[in-house]
Amino acid sequence: MNKRDIIRLAFKNFMRRKTRSILTILGVLIGTSAIVVMLSLGIGMNESFRRQLSSMGSLNVIDVNPWYFIEDGRGGGYSGQNVLDDKAVAKIAAIEGVEAVTPFLQTGLRLVSGKYVMYANIMGVDPNALEAFGYKTAKGRMLTEDDTTALLFGSNTPYDFYNPRARNNYGGGYVYFGGYMGDGVERPEPDVDVLNDKLVLTFDFSYGERRPGGTGGSEGGNKKPKLYKVKGVGILEESQDERAYSIFMNIEYLKKIMKENERAQGSMGPRPGGSQQEGYSQVKVKVTDMNNVQKVQDQIKEMGYGAYSLTDVLKSMQETSATMQAVLGGIGAISLFVAAIGITNTMVMSIYERTREIGVMKVLGCMLGDIRNLFLIEAAIIGFFGGLLGLGFSYGASALLNRFAGGLFGGGYYYGPSQDSIVSLIPAWLALLALGFATLVGIISGFMPARRAMKLSALEAIKTE
Amino acid sequence: MENIIELKNLRKVYRIGEEKVIALDDVSLSIKKGEFCCLLGTSGSGKSTMLNLMAGLEKPTKGTIRIKGQAIEKMSEKKLAKFRQEHLGFVFQSYNLLPMLTALENVSMPLTFKGLSKSVRDKKARDMLKAVGLETHIKHKPSQMSGGQQQRVGIARAFVAMPEIVFADEPTGNLDSRTTKEVMGLITEMARENNQTLVIVTHDLEIAGYADRIVHILDGNIEKIDIINARRVSNEEADNIISGADAVPAGV
Repeated sequence: MNKRDIIRLAFKNFMRRKTRSILTILGVLIGTSAIVVMLSLGIGMNESFRRQLSSMGSLNVIDVNPWYFIEDGRGGGYSGQNVLDDKAVAKIAAIEGVEAVTPFLQTGLRLVSGKYVMYANIMGVDPNALEAFGYKTAKGRMLTEDDTTALLFGSNTPYDFYNPRARNNYGGGYVYFGGYMGDGVERPEPDVDVLNDKLVLTFDFSYGERRPGGTGGSEGGNKKPKLYKVKGVGILEESQDERAYSIFMNIEYLKKIMKENERAQGSMGPRPGGSQQEGYSQVKVKVTDMNNVQKVQDQIKEMGYGAYSLTDVLKSMQETSATMQAVLGGIGAISLFVAAIGITNTMVMSIYERTREIGVMKVLGCMLGDIRNLFLIEAAIIGFFGGLLGLGFSYGASALLNRFAGGLFGGGYYYGPSQDSIVSLIPAWLALLALGFATLVGIISGFMPARRAMKLSALEAIKTE
Repeated sequence: MENIIELKNLRKVYRIGEEKVIALDDVSLSIKKGEFCCLLGTSGSGKSTMLNLMAGLEKPTKGTIRIKGQAIEKMSEKKLAKFRQEHLGFVFQSYNLLPMLTALENVSMPLTFKGLSKSVRDKKARDMLKAVGLETHIKHKPSQMSGGQQQRVGIARAFVAMPEIVFADEPTGNLDSRTTKEVMGLITEMARENNQTLVIVTHDLEIAGYADRIVHILDGNIEKIDIINARRVSNEEADNIISGADAVPAGV
């Protein structure tokens, strides 16, 4: 028999006992939906973890710091500090799978614009690497290699200016600090237009303050720290990490002015945030593929530095959800197993009913393999349609869960329930896998009955009683 | 003409519990190509067992069965299926049509097993249904047809693949006498037309009357053989009749 005829005949047989076929399919439907919905909960949980984490920062970025810790395998260990300098940066950049590396030179400076001042958390970075790390501007432009006095503002920093001589002199800055999320309240424009107003950077932290017995900025006597004219070129998009609270500039220029200041201040000792002799306090590493993060991270640790990434968090979260998925999937698997028994039962029944027909087919010269395939395909049809309908049902259930159960699970490990919280997610691979699996279950369930049909004695079958 | 079927010292013993039942004792028989041979006997005589052995549905306890020179008793299930597909046709007492298939699909079934394309087998099956006078019932299911009609579909099915041998086990057992005549006429005519060998098992003398030779079977042995049409049969006695005196007319 050719394949099309076998399938056609199997379909005809399948349609003969509609009620029984439908009930069997219903069993598979329930089994498939149970597995798919259960797994979709786990996948949804993972996905919402991932979204939460990526809103906290990029998942394929590793933070490297000079501190190392080596476990001794007995719960203890020893720690120390290695210098994280340009040589180390180059070495890290050479690791396979690393896309971009930038050191972060952090220092605190005073930023002044007219009567407004702020404490600026300045980050010296490699301008070429910014884009790779996902920095995007909301206004203005990014830093470029040729920039020197250019500043790139974190989304929150323009609000940090305040007028030290005003009565409630913190009014401009800290009111919104951390409290701006989600309320839907428009923030007022900051007092300083950082992209257009004139800006000055200084190491003098008392610059512009009200001082006893003198007017601001005109204190005599000591050698005053130099003023650097700077220019705002861009403001970053809003984010929920440290970026929002930092101001970025070219690391080379920052090194230069820090050196100048050190020379000028000579006796005052090293500045907080570290000079370059001590190396960088932090280096960020971007890895091309998220799956390589762990590998690269391990290599950096071997070099004697501390390395940390959001993958660490994700990993422990995924372990939790994998356990949950296994338990839930197991429950689903039991119902599919019951459905499989249902298919076997149905097939055994129909073979009993059709003993005579099978015998006739054998006597008329139907090949044994064809008889077996006929029943295997009938069982596969039950599995396939059960799976297909179960999948449809699962998508429906998944949509309902996402709509009505959003607040119950997931969504909100770190922040309150967000609108895009996912409870249940059925990716295409799960759908295809479920369909294939249901069909396979059908075939496996049909295997024993099909063999039995094949081995039926043709003589017994056609005996006239 | 050569013998298409040769049975030699065929013995079949069934074991039922402790008891042995001898269905066939020691049977030898040759059937010529194009012969219409009737195995006549009462129920339990062993005539059906003989047919089953010839069709390879059962294995003999002893003896050999050769069809077209091939040892049937030594064939595997798989080879037998192929052999039946290519050389044998069957007509059953209870028609044995598949209930979910139409007349056309039932008739074309042996062709389906052979793997012929739908257009080819539909054409052949249609012609066959026409030949048995059922061109109006092509789309009917077995449940929508009378016994006679069903058996005509059965006959069409047996002959559609042009097998060299057609076996029929009490083909008219479930039919009334008028339909029996129609059906027997149809079978005989079809087999004659293509010089096909026909082996019919029956207990009905009237049916036996259509045959070229009647083999009487009693208690697992051939009791006697009646030669009706000596020219068509394979038998020493028949040879004698033909060579001895051409003047002797058919019928004993």
